[in-house]
Amino acid sequence: MHIPDGYLSPSTCAGLAAAAAPFWYVALRRVKAALHSRLLPLLSVFAAFSFVIMMFNLPLPGGTSGHAVGMGIAAIVLGPWASILAISIALTIQAVFFGDGGITAIGANCFNMAIAGSLVGYATYRLVAWRAPLRSGRRVVAAGLGGYAAINVAALLAAIEFGIQPLLFRDASGMPLYAPYPLRIAVPAMMIGHLTFAGLAELVISSGMVAYLQRIDPELLRATSGTDLPVGPVSAPAGSRTPRKLWLAVATLLILTPLGILAVGSAWGEWSARDFADPQARREMAAASGNQAPPRAVPRGLERLSSIWTAPLARYAPAFVRSQTFGYVLSAVVGVGLIIALAMPLQWLLARLPAARRRRKSFVEKTARGLLEATGHALFAEDMAAADGFLQRLDPRVKLVGIGALIGAAVAVHRLWVLAAILALSSLLALASHIPLGLLAKRVWLTVLAFTGLVALPAIFLTPGTIIYRLPLLAWPLTEQGLRTAGFLILRGETAASLAALLVLSTLWTHQLHALRYFRVPVVIVALLGMTYRYMFLFLETARAMFESRESRMVGVLQPADRRRLAAASAGVLLEKTLQVSGEVHLAMQARGYRGEIRLLDEARMRANDWLRLAAFAAVATLAVWLGR
Amino acid sequence: MSKPAFDVRNVSFRYHQVAALNGLSMYVKRGERVALLGANGSGKSTLLRLLAGLCFADQGEIAFLGESLNQQSLQDEKAFFSFRQRVGLVFQNADVQLFCPSVFDELAFGPLQLRWPAQKIRERVGEVLRAMDIEHLRDRAPHRLSGGEKKRVALASVLVLDPEVLLLDEPSGALDPSSQARIVDFLVSCGNGAKTVVIATHDLDTLEDIADRCYVFENGRIAGEGTPLEILHDVELLERAKLIHPHAHVHDASAVQPHPHLHRH
Repeated sequence: MHIPDGYLSPSTCAGLAAAAAPFWYVALRRVKAALHSRLLPLLSVFAAFSFVIMMFNLPLPGGTSGHAVGMGIAAIVLGPWASILAISIALTIQAVFFGDGGITAIGANCFNMAIAGSLVGYATYRLVAWRAPLRSGRRVVAAGLGGYAAINVAALLAAIEFGIQPLLFRDASGMPLYAPYPLRIAVPAMMIGHLTFAGLAELVISSGMVAYLQRIDPELLRATSGTDLPVGPVSAPAGSRTPRKLWLAVATLLILTPLGILAVGSAWGEWSARDFADPQARREMAAASGNQAPPRAVPRGLERLSSIWTAPLARYAPAFVRSQTFGYVLSAVVGVGLIIALAMPLQWLLARLPAARRRRKSFVEKTARGLLEATGHALFAEDMAAADGFLQRLDPRVKLVGIGALIGAAVAVHRLWVLAAILALSSLLALASHIPLGLLAKRVWLTVLAFTGLVALPAIFLTPGTIIYRLPLLAWPLTEQGLRTAGFLILRGETAASLAALLVLSTLWTHQLHALRYFRVPVVIVALLGMTYRYMFLFLETARAMFESRESRMVGVLQPADRRRLAAASAGVLLEKTLQVSGEVHLAMQARGYRGEIRLLDEARMRANDWLRLAAFAAVATLAVWLGR
Repeated sequence: MSKPAFDVRNVSFRYHQVAALNGLSMYVKRGERVALLGANGSGKSTLLRLLAGLCFADQGEIAFLGESLNQQSLQDEKAFFSFRQRVGLVFQNADVQLFCPSVFDELAFGPLQLRWPAQKIRERVGEVLRAMDIEHLRDRAPHRLSGGEKKRVALASVLVLDPEVLLLDEPSGALDPSSQARIVDFLVSCGNGAKTVVIATHDLDTLEDIADRCYVFENGRIAGEGTPLEILHDVELLERAKLIHPHAHVHDASAVQPHPHLHRH
């Protein structure tokens, strides 16, 4: 769901960031008008909260677990505009510190998850809940569906962004430079996972937290409820009755959405495929993609893949069944069905495993460990940044722009050897800054390889071109172009992630913030980033203590539904704490003279030496882009 | 005699429909150190927030140096800044007080909001960092500080404005003895009348050193008033305000008898 660096072309990234900008602007203005001086503490504390929520390991039906993004619940508690800001801030901090999502893809990720996700989640919640009383079970259903819709729309957008890459961005030989799969593969591949696991994680956290808030403090749901009705009585049976209704609604969605979404997705694919032959459209596409000519034909490998699904039906079925469109829709439905069919016996099996073995994998323990690791990860980065090395000695402004330019170059170049050279340069920078390569390998290289490698693997076989090897038995063709496509994806990901890690490992966050301030990033954004990072630690600590104390009191095995309720209740407790802290922080800020307009100390001027070093970085980046064009 | 720093008359305050202060009256003279004693939830913190102009009384009136302190009087920017400059509040929870990304930013926050010139801010922050012995923490993030360090930075972040009136909410709560001693030393040093200090606390051990006069709180009202010595000897009052607990323990190996925990030998 978090798009890494190297999957999207620079023009796509810039386009999506530009598309996000007006939403951010409107959100900032609206929220400022509504919250006055409470804007800063509430938003930053809530961003820190969503950051921690993303680390919760949520038990899902089928014995698996997943992580939520939390835009559904953010939109329900804060309203869509404040949620856009809070989730954007959380995503930015995730990208910078934990390599979740690329630096160049921050705009894209914010557009998909924070903006589209919040708006869709909110609209769905309001539509389904309508004017139901605050404690109505209908609100729980509405919240679950809101979260589910939000994450799936975000995933669909990401899939479309992936899918248009190979159509628009290819090198001279027609080889895809970025995400290699077209819409017909990208859309089902993304949606199957999100319609099942990720979607359910979002659903569990949204509906569970609303159910928790209904019991504890329903007034928190008032602002976005659209109703002035009194809270209403606690509907005792709601706890047991609502989930079933919810599951029923989701089951219906599960069956219906692939059809709808994939119909849209393949329509896109068809449109694009036809346009490859149309000279007018080709010119438009070329202009839209920085004067790169799109390839003349749709990649043949993809047609092969789609024929796998339609093949069994082809001989007997009427024409519409033999169409590709139907093939994709069918593949998606089959995929979703397969996952559910596999999950059910798995759950049955897991429920019968000895308790001792299951205890080890308890989600409570997993979450506690994850939270601890996140804290440790960030603290370690701070220690590294305090060391005395080449990068650490550079002015933070030089580093921010210089490394940023190198990341931009890594995403823009069209030649593998230039990418490899930038990666080598970043390894040298790491060595000169006393950042062990082993650490970089473990933290960055292996992680990126595990993720992107998996994504890139099919491209090796699916990309048409010169066959250099055939897999024994399967006779799958290994093509030179396929290898290079996969190489691009992996090397780009590795290089950008290494550079981003270098920046974080060599610069204290406060110094980065000061650097942002120097470049005229609005004070409010800088302050939001600073406060979010600060409270992220407080909540990581709070959540960890909560899960650890829960773990120490846990006797026996919890039923899956109870585990979900427990996770949602923990998130609810954290939310209450979040809101309380934000109120207190607001008072503390007021006590020291804050009236709604934050002020920060401006940085000292850059010295000649700093400019020189900045010029060196810029020269290397420019050279790389020129050599790799 | 000049006007009292604070004059609180018959003030009531409700918090989420629950009465936190209930027709409370008290005063604080200029240069005086006043301790507010009371159990958790007895209204001490609420009173401090009212004195700091962060919440406003539902009924009754609070005057600061003879001028009425209310929402309207703080509306004007000049009046707001002048009040903030003169009255500083250190919150009970240091995690709430420290919301900036680094110790330096934390100390610079107040002066920046009050529109001090940049050069003066840098100098003053450096001065306070030295005075509070926290220079080595300058670039540290709040989450990298120990509990004692957090409290000291929280205090410094208020002292940087050099306020005339210092409001402290349990400044030595949950601290190790050495960190506690540092805070107490500081409060003792305020005893020459240079600063007006109001401290909410339930720490009776150091009371004589840090306060000139005490109020005992009970359910949002004043249950007693006097010098630290007078209060400490009023066992019945302290017990009623839940500041001490009748506790059984052995004294001379022979008799086990219930009696108040606090005693002086």
